[in-house]
Amino acid sequence: MTRMSKFPGAGLAKGLAVTLRTMTKRSVTQGYPEVLPELPPRSRGVIALFEENCTVCMLCARECPDWCIYIDSHKEVVPAKEPGARDRTRNVLDRFAIDFALCMYCGICVEVCPFDALFWSPEFEYATEDIQQLTHEKDTLRAWMWTVPAPPALDERAEEPKELTMARRAADKLAKEQAQAASEASGASASEASEAPEDGTP
Amino acid sequence: MSALAAAADLSGSGGPGFLSPTGAEVAFVLIGLVVLGSALLVVTTKQIVHAALWLVVTLGGLAAEYLLLTAEFIAWVQVLIYIGAVVVLLLFGLMLTRAPIGRSAELDSASKWPALLVAGAAAATLLTVVVDAFHAAYLDLGETGDGSARVTGESLFRVWVLPFEVLSVLLLAALIGAIILSRSRGDDADRRR
Amino acid sequence: MTLFEVLVRLVLVLLCFLVLPLVIGQTEHKVMGHMQARVGPIYAGGFHGWAQLVADGVKFAQKEDVVPAGADRRVFRLAPAVALIPYMVVLIAIPLGPGDLVGRSIDAGVFFVLAVMGVGVLGSLMAGWASANKFSLLGALRTAAQLMAYELPMLLAAASVAMAAGTLSLTGILGEWQWWWLPWQAVGAVVFFTAGLAELQRPPFDMPVADSEIIFGAYTEYTGLRFALFLLAEYAGILVLCALTTVLFLGGWHGPWSGDVGWLWTLLKTGLLAFVVIWLRVSYPRLREDQLQKLAWTGLIPLALGQLVLTGIVRVATA
Repeated sequence: MTRMSKFPGAGLAKGLAVTLRTMTKRSVTQGYPEVLPELPPRSRGVIALFEENCTVCMLCARECPDWCIYIDSHKEVVPAKEPGARDRTRNVLDRFAIDFALCMYCGICVEVCPFDALFWSPEFEYATEDIQQLTHEKDTLRAWMWTVPAPPALDERAEEPKELTMARRAADKLAKEQAQAASEASGASASEASEAPEDGTP
Repeated sequence: MSALAAAADLSGSGGPGFLSPTGAEVAFVLIGLVVLGSALLVVTTKQIVHAALWLVVTLGGLAAEYLLLTAEFIAWVQVLIYIGAVVVLLLFGLMLTRAPIGRSAELDSASKWPALLVAGAAAATLLTVVVDAFHAAYLDLGETGDGSARVTGESLFRVWVLPFEVLSVLLLAALIGAIILSRSRGDDADRRR
Repeated sequence: MTLFEVLVRLVLVLLCFLVLPLVIGQTEHKVMGHMQARVGPIYAGGFHGWAQLVADGVKFAQKEDVVPAGADRRVFRLAPAVALIPYMVVLIAIPLGPGDLVGRSIDAGVFFVLAVMGVGVLGSLMAGWASANKFSLLGALRTAAQLMAYELPMLLAAASVAMAAGTLSLTGILGEWQWWWLPWQAVGAVVFFTAGLAELQRPPFDMPVADSEIIFGAYTEYTGLRFALFLLAEYAGILVLCALTTVLFLGGWHGPWSGDVGWLWTLLKTGLLAFVVIWLRVSYPRLREDQLQKLAWTGLIPLALGQLVLTGIVRVATA
């Protein structure tokens, strides 16, 4: 014993007190199969694929540190809509699979996706009896999309999302243009009445 | 041990109802036979740990005999000291040194016949002495509670107090001797170092 | 006492022997769980997992009874019985309530109880040797060393109470008991209880079965029902030790309204002590083998001798 306590056996009593106190508190056990756990936002359960957004750019597969994403695709020709124009091609996704036996849940693929096609889902109950079955194809990945929660609310005084700023700016611009067009039209029909709305809106 | 058991057999059937023994007397004889048999097994078995375990049966049987003679206190002391301590110590020693499972050949001593002779002679002597001294005596177990702790204690500390004290001095001497033996070896080790 | 009465008493003792250790075992599961911020067994039987030990028993009964190839088969098979039966026999002598509420009142009760309890350790020794396994043998050796170290302080502490009461009978001791014996025999009680824990190989004195060192000591090779019997012996041992400490040091059935509910007092005190046994197990780490021996020979035995002297002085002064 390095530190001598005041009374002999004080340390022993302290140990007993700790266990007794723990006994009177609520236990931290979660009744998992009956009571589902309350997972924190942005829990990394499984990676879901929003297939409609995927353009087969392959960025995710190339960034993946342990090469667990498999992508197959082919090109389809979209015939030109107007005569004389060039035919366009479009990438069509044939296979998108993630091998969760390899995946290390780093989330780089989610970060790197430029088209918001990959999302974290809190779903975690996909254990299997065979390691081969841990490679999940795109239909399963698409189905997991339904379990992706809405993004958590922003902090109270946080900057608003860029999308909203952009959208508002576009809307404002459109409104201004429309107002201008309207005022020009009315100015052309009755030029003496054009002073009044400017007084009304200082 | 076997001599004691044999003696016990004789004294058990030596009561007034010689041809109509009571249940206790029959039990006494039967347990005596068990004690005798297990005692023989102690010395004849070729497996050394089995010998120690048969010794447990022998000593336990003796405790049962004491009980039948209403010597309750002696019986429990027998269990406590002999089975609980001596045999445990014996087994401890055996396991610490050598205790192979199965038969060991070197357990058969060369001096087995002289040993048998000596044991037989000792048994015969004891048997003769006991039978000669008590052959007509009969202890009515129903009336006397002679083996209770109180009676044993009173006779030990009133009548037999001198032998008791002498024995305790002997034990003390042995204790001190053991301490000195173990310490002197330690000193030697220190000196050598 | 008629034969029928004797039979009824034996059956009642057997019932106690079969039920109370299971109750203690279940309490241990739950108390240990909550002391470690868990909930313990929760499914078996529905209500707080009350049937967990029953389920365990069913599981043990289904398992294969394996005897190692190199083992001494007869001794190996006999060992669990030798370990278990003495505790059952001891239970006969422990008085539950005032008057005649005892399996069988024995004149040298203290000696009887301690002697028969000591026999149980032979079971561990036999198991350890017969398993033909070096870990088992080590466990058995530790058991024997531990027993020899702790039998003495236990006996001395019990002798102190016998001296105070002037009788060796357990019912007699309870008859003489006064409330002020509690402080008078307090040191003896602590020594007795600690030594008893060591003799039962309960944590923090569980080196003979230290799982991180020698797997499970003498019981390493056992499976199925025989293993369950060893476990049952451990819990029966807790019951016997707690009941004995209650009777010798805590006044057994003495308490308010002891005339009517004396047996309840005995059970309550025994249960409280069993809780302490579990509590100690959760709180303290295992001692080392040499620390254990040191505690016995330089700590408990002098304390027990001091208690004997104190008992003698008070006894002579008040006589």
